Amino acid sequence: MAEPNSTFKPIKPKLKPKPRTPKQTPESKYWSSFKNHQIPDLISSITSLTFSPSPPHPFAATHSTSLKIFNPQTLSPSSTISSFSDVVSSASFRCDGLLIAASDLSGLIQVFDVKTRTPLRKLRSHTRPVRFLKYPLHDKLHLVSGGDDAVVKYWDVASETPLLELLGHKDYVRCGDFSPVSHEMCVTGSYDHTVKLWDVRVTGSKTVMEVNHGKPVESVVFLPSGGLVATAGGNSVKIWDFIGGGKMVYSMEGHTKTVTSVCVGRVGKENVEEGREHRVLSVGLDGYMKVFDYGRMKVTHSMRFPAPLMSIGFSPDCGVRVIGSSNGVMYVGKRKTKEENVDTGLRSFWSLGVEEERRVMRPSYFRYFHRGQGDKPKEGDYLVMRPKKVKLAEHDKLLKKFRHKEALVSVLGNKNPENVVAVMEELVARRKLLKCVENLDNEELGLLLMFLQKYSTVPRFSGLLMGLTKKVLEMRVEDIRGSEALKGQIRNLKRSVEEEIRIQHSLQELQGIISPLLRIAGRG
Amino acid sequence: MIRGGSSYISSPPAFSNDAKRLLVCTANTVSIFSTSTALQVASLEGHTAAVTSVIVVPGTKVLCYCWTASLDGTIRYWDFSVPELLKTLDVKMPIFSMVIPSIVGQPAESNEKLTDVFAYLSIEDKKVQENRPKAMHGQIRKCNLTASRMVGGLILKETPQPEFITVSSSGKFFGIRNKRKLHVWSVPAIDSGRSLAKKITLHHSKTLSVLAFHPTERIVAAGDVTGRILVWRGFGYRTFSTGDELVNKEEEHPGVRGNDDADSCSTWHWHSAEVKVLSFSSDGAYLYSGGKEGVLVVWQLDTGKKKFLPRIGSPLLCFTDSPDPTLSSISCADNLIHMLEMPSMDILKTISGIKLPHSFPGRYEGLSSGFAFDYTSGLVALRTESYGIQFYSLFDDHGMYEVQVCERNHQPGDEISVVVILVALSQDGSMMSTVEVKLPEEGIGGLVCLKFWALGSENKKFTLSTVIYEPHRDAGISAVAFHPTRHMAVSSSYGGDFKVWVCNDEIHQKGQTLQNSGWACLAVGAYKKKPMTAAAFSLDGSVLAVAAETVITLWDPDKNVLLAVIGETFSPIVTLSFAGKSEYLVSVSRDPKPQLSVWNMSKLSLSWSYRLHIEAVACAVDLLSFAVLALLPESSMCTESNESMSQGRDGAILLFNVMDPVPVASWSVRKAKGGGLSFLQGNPSFLEENISDGNAPKELLVYVNGDHEYVLFDPYSNEANEVSMARRKGLVELEETGQVGYASIYGELPEFKRNQTSLVPSVPSERPWETIFSGSSHNLPPLTKLCAAFLESLMEKRTAAVE
Repeated sequence: MAEPNSTFKPIKPKLKPKPRTPKQTPESKYWSSFKNHQIPDLISSITSLTFSPSPPHPFAATHSTSLKIFNPQTLSPSSTISSFSDVVSSASFRCDGLLIAASDLSGLIQVFDVKTRTPLRKLRSHTRPVRFLKYPLHDKLHLVSGGDDAVVKYWDVASETPLLELLGHKDYVRCGDFSPVSHEMCVTGSYDHTVKLWDVRVTGSKTVMEVNHGKPVESVVFLPSGGLVATAGGNSVKIWDFIGGGKMVYSMEGHTKTVTSVCVGRVGKENVEEGREHRVLSVGLDGYMKVFDYGRMKVTHSMRFPAPLMSIGFSPDCGVRVIGSSNGVMYVGKRKTKEENVDTGLRSFWSLGVEEERRVMRPSYFRYFHRGQGDKPKEGDYLVMRPKKVKLAEHDKLLKKFRHKEALVSVLGNKNPENVVAVMEELVARRKLLKCVENLDNEELGLLLMFLQKYSTVPRFSGLLMGLTKKVLEMRVEDIRGSEALKGQIRNLKRSVEEEIRIQHSLQELQGIISPLLRIAGRG
Repeated sequence: MIRGGSSYISSPPAFSNDAKRLLVCTANTVSIFSTSTALQVASLEGHTAAVTSVIVVPGTKVLCYCWTASLDGTIRYWDFSVPELLKTLDVKMPIFSMVIPSIVGQPAESNEKLTDVFAYLSIEDKKVQENRPKAMHGQIRKCNLTASRMVGGLILKETPQPEFITVSSSGKFFGIRNKRKLHVWSVPAIDSGRSLAKKITLHHSKTLSVLAFHPTERIVAAGDVTGRILVWRGFGYRTFSTGDELVNKEEEHPGVRGNDDADSCSTWHWHSAEVKVLSFSSDGAYLYSGGKEGVLVVWQLDTGKKKFLPRIGSPLLCFTDSPDPTLSSISCADNLIHMLEMPSMDILKTISGIKLPHSFPGRYEGLSSGFAFDYTSGLVALRTESYGIQFYSLFDDHGMYEVQVCERNHQPGDEISVVVILVALSQDGSMMSTVEVKLPEEGIGGLVCLKFWALGSENKKFTLSTVIYEPHRDAGISAVAFHPTRHMAVSSSYGGDFKVWVCNDEIHQKGQTLQNSGWACLAVGAYKKKPMTAAAFSLDGSVLAVAAETVITLWDPDKNVLLAVIGETFSPIVTLSFAGKSEYLVSVSRDPKPQLSVWNMSKLSLSWSYRLHIEAVACAVDLLSFAVLALLPESSMCTESNESMSQGRDGAILLFNVMDPVPVASWSVRKAKGGGLSFLQGNPSFLEENISDGNAPKELLVYVNGDHEYVLFDPYSNEANEVSMARRKGLVELEETGQVGYASIYGELPEFKRNQTSLVPSVPSERPWETIFSGSSHNLPPLTKLCAAFLESLMEKRTAAVE
């Protein structure tokens, strides 16, 4: 059955084109939900960032000759360790989060108590700067380190002695990672372009597997499944399948400069099933952080920072994402975590209880008779909706009363060009636009001319407005001559038209240059 | 064979006594609608020409009798609860309007007197010679309904045209308008054949258009063409006085012209155009008026204060009060009858007929694709004047719903500035595209807008998917066609290019099926910068044919590569259509040299062609046949017009096999100008009641004429209209002389007559249980009536025993 169309339909501005791809996927929404904070004034570049595996996941940043541990809630440094003789290159928390090991370029590795900051062990064996060290997962006794002497060492921390010296790299060892499934397997990446997988149970410094990244390897990380490894070097991040014999799965070439660091991030959503939610986050000297979904082999988010980026860390509870730049600024992204929500919810619950105690309604109050009117509907309540009232803007009300000129003037005063053009189109449809123009007094005409000057060259509106401008000038030439102010408006209008013509000329020149090229390209 | 699509608004409807049913004149029948559901419950069939008046005999609520008058010159008396014809009177002159004052005035208690019932008829006298300078065609006459005869020699008034008679609800007065005069007759208290009704005349300076009587007092209101409403109070005291009433002649009569017999005359002016509707409320306190503006105005009679029901959306034609004081109806010019809940004037229900054709400004007049047919579900999509698309079910003969293409209030009186010029449906009916044009005001503000719509999965209604402003710059769009299987469409423009559009369905995540379906341009093509005038996809979708004025270009729609160019016609091609799965392409070109051509695609050459003015083409999906609706050339019209056969037939439907230039079958039709034609998939529910033997037609042909009346039939079996065709053959043989035009090409045609329901035994009496037991139980007629009808239906019926 036909709807009775007895309601007045307000005018609607023309729709704007939507982008072909939606601006925000749910994932990019997630990544941009990290609220940006800056921690400035760290000296020199931030060489490494690491998160404690135990909640509340404080994170450590190494820069210059100091190591700072930050509170993830307040983002303020909770402690600073500065008993280093050279630039600190790398740090790693033990799996219980109580100890932290740090290496510096003098070749010394120190193990500190996180709380008291006292150095407990000093591991001396590397002859050249140490570039990375790493505690394995679930193993409190050992760690692995590597450095410019091209040797990877597996330490017994308690006795301060290297248990194994894994030889095989032919250049500086820059990075390494322990397997998330086994505390006896680790990978190391080196400037000799290779990534080697070591098993500490195998003696005689034989590698289990070796892959060639093709560029000096800057960073390597095991992906949570334990079978895949992401390596960064040059402009690319490569995903390798180590279980499948070390073949390359995908090479992500999104960065334009050297990728300096990669880490594993997580899309912290419950409805995404396991295995789909881990992402590789990479940062590079081009200032971009890219989120790579290695399940779909797609870069799902990309973010730009104003400085070359050196290191990245992602908290295990998905609450904090830290990026260190080369000029001593740390970009921290922080999400509201669940605990905070629960906390506030709890507080509001308590405060509600207090309020209810205070206010007991009695029939002697006036408000007693209005009680319950502001109540929100409960889950199972059946809602009886009031028919929605169409809100009419001022110009719609005037159009409804057929007061066309007043509608035009009122919408001109509102500074919304889309609405103005929509009203003009409606007036055209009613065959009243020119009559309106004829009836405008000088002040209103000035308003219209100002609008035309501003918007008649905007491509979206020009189809209507250029014709209208001509008509207005034709019809109101006498009034414009009579008034100084209107003459000024016309001068402005002329200027903007001339400018537009200039732009069009230069665009046509450009087109003239390009079109033969395109034609040649099309032929080829 | 199914007919339908008749106008509901040709004459005023009437409510039944319980106000639960509304009797609407629909061409040759009277359709009875339920007022609570707005669905048709029954129909009175029997008249052989358009029914012009229906009068329900007032009385108690169970009384269900009505009088109908028709242009076929008969007055019939019905029991519409059954429904059953009780009595037929033959006046032998077309009746334009009938009133029966005596039954209106005296309710049932006066029945025992057994006075004769007199009707006053407005008839057209065809015997009046044309050559007289002021030929009076219209006559007001009196007719004795009880004795079934005209009151001889009594002509109350002669008018140039037959006029509509208005009667007062008290039954004391009736009147007509006649140019600038109003004639009012007083009905004699005891009416007999002899007694003459007294007449007064009221004058006005403008041509009057409508009048209405006050139910109790001597007040008559009339509207004129300039929008004024005149209210004469106290008319006719001088002339109609029975003698003992005191008449003071010296009193001043404000506003009354000349020596007119009225106390006073006041004028109200609100309407800007002709007043079409005038009606007093049943208590006489209010006057309803309406006109072209589509606003119902309620005047308080004593004070002249106004209340409005605005934005009805189309000109009002008629206001009908019901016996139930809370219900009344208004008929609108776009074939709608709105049920109003009275004091609040809310629209309760709407009986929506098929949208009537409306005028298009200038260059959009002759565009062919006025209709879009949904092949599978048997719907037709029509453009409405209020910028919408109406979906009308051809099988069920009622309006399904409307889609508002342009979000704008329609002002019926205004100049047309926004037009929906094209509508196209995909073959499965799941996609629709519309083109609307905003006409510029003195060269500024014109806009062409292409919209794509998708059928919702739950509510089966179209929702807007994509809007494309100015798809071909500022050039107009000549045609839109959908790909038969894929989500692809083509639009061709007069600006010299065509665009292929694709719908990119994107299903994002499997948890939330976020469907972002939008249409985007895939390819643009042009051929020698010629205006593209028509476009069509082949049935398998592998070839896209676009007509570049006089030649046909064939394209690969995927790669956008020109495959071939065929032919050259004399004038631009307006319609292209692939004939089923065959390798043939049908093209139609119109003025100045009309042509129907069939092209062979494998040979890339013209197969055969005719010089015919083709209004519409329809191609069968599976078979190798197609049908065209041809307008008969003027020359053949003239020669045939002196024969009785023509009867205003101006077109013919020709069914061709693509291989063979000789038509397989043909039918001649009326009002072919602006008509449409299409094949539809045979509807199983329709078949079971129609086809007695086993062979069910796969496809049906639907023909919609220029007035949007339609007929559905099986073009292959010819079973349904065998009777008519057999008779027509005999007629055609009589007039062998001088065949010209198409008749000279194909020989004589077996005729298909549109208005021949009388030959087929009336259907509803055969299966009455379908109608009488439907509806709620409190609406059912008394058991005695049901029983008779039911038992009668079990008996074998020979003919409709009328006359």
